[in-house]
Parts: sequence; C-alpha cells; structure tokens
Amino acid sequence: MTTTTHTPPPVTAEKKTGPWLALLVAGVFEVGYALSVNGSKGFTNLVWSIVAIIFFLFTLFFLSVALKKIDVGIGYAVWAGIGAVGAALLGPVFFDEALTLVKAFWLAVIIGGVVWLKLADSATLTPNTTDPTTPVDEQG
Amino acid sequence: MSWLYLGIAVLFEVAVGILAGKAQGFTKLWWTIGTLVSGAIATFFLSLALLTFDVGVGYALWTSLAGVGIVIVGALFLSQRLTWKKLLGILIVIAGVVGLNLAGAA
Repeated sequence: MTTTTHTPPPVTAEKKTGPWLALLVAGVFEVGYALSVNGSKGFTNLVWSIVAIIFFLFTLFFLSVALKKIDVGIGYAVWAGIGAVGAALLGPVFFDEALTLVKAFWLAVIIGGVVWLKLADSATLTPNTTDPTTPVDEQG
Repeated sequence: MSWLYLGIAVLFEVAVGILAGKAQGFTKLWWTIGTLVSGAIATFFLSLALLTFDVGVGYALWTSLAGVGIVIVGALFLSQRLTWKKLLGILIVIAGVVGLNLAGAA
C-alpha cells in the first residue's frame, strides 16, 4: 500500500477529497457490515448473511482504494472509529438493544483506545522510527 | 462461550490485519485469498459472539482487541517497534474492556 506510482497525479481538490470520500464510504459499509453480521443470527438468516458478505467485500474494496492515498495508520483509525461508533449508536435503532450511559462511556474509552492505537501506527505522525525503510503496510 | 467465539474471531481478525498488509492493496493473489478467508472465518465467529453480545459492544471489543493483537504480533514477529504511544493505546483499550465488564455492560 506504500508502493509509489511512477506518474503521480496532479494535486487538485478532487484528488485530495476522493480518497477521504472512499474512506468515509468504507466506514459506512463497515457499520452496515457490523449490523448485518448481527442480523444474520450466526449466519442462520439468509438475507442478512448475503448482505453481510456484500458489505464485507465493499468495505474492503473502498478501504483499499482509500489507503492508496491516505496514510495507513490514519486511514485505519478513522475507519475503525466510524465502524465502532456507528455500530454502538445504530445497534439500538435496528435491534432490541439499549445503549446506557455507563455502556456508552466504556465503549467510548475502548474506541478512543483503538483509534489512538491506529494513529500510533501512522508513519506520518511518528516519523522518529529508527528504520525509515520499515514497511508500514504490515501494520493495521 | 460467547467470549470463546469472540476470542477466535479476534485471532482471525489479527490475521486479516497482518495478511492485508502483505497483500499490498490486494495486488498479491495468495495474500489476498488468505485475507479474505481469514476475514470470512473472523466474521463467522463474530456472528456467533453477537448472538450474546450487543452489536455495539461485541463489535467494539472485536475490532479493538484485534488492533491490540496486531500491534503485539507486529512487535513480536515483524520487528516493529513497540512505542510508548502504542503501549498507551493498548492500556486504554484494556482499561475500557475491564471497565465495561466491571460495569456489567459487556
């Protein structure tokens, strides 16, 4: 994912927003994936199962598109954050679940922790690594 | 039992994180196949775990514990540095998981 292209495209507003839009779409599909995996009831419900597989492929595709241009650590942080927050907020909307204040607090701690963890993996935000040739694309 | 399913799902999601990197934007065929197979297994066991967990709770536990696992595997086997920032992230996630359990919300 860090492989350089030989002909870098000109930096326009569209080129900059495109990958972030792809990342946002990937995050939305990830929320859909979480909800449909839940709805599949252990993959016993056929319709939800098929929807889950489609969302799974879509989220992977859009994430891979986004990560060609966005730093892997930052990209994963945003994607994981959207997925986890979306699942927590929309779970009670679609299913018989309740998001209590206590639960929301500890979920926020967990989600904050994993977003921080992904950001710490970022090559852009942590340029002080000892070996600059260490590939970052093995992290995720 | 639900924690066992979640644990298996986390292990395979860690594999996804490692393999997806090797697949280099899904240009390497076998790494890509490995990523998809691991992802399918992880998804199946996540669905079993979600029979018990709320989706918001189960998904957050799954993705965050996998994130912790990926950093630990990276540090142990892929010669990536375990920085204090990463350690702090791991501690925050663990604190959140413990807190969620103590609050009886998991």
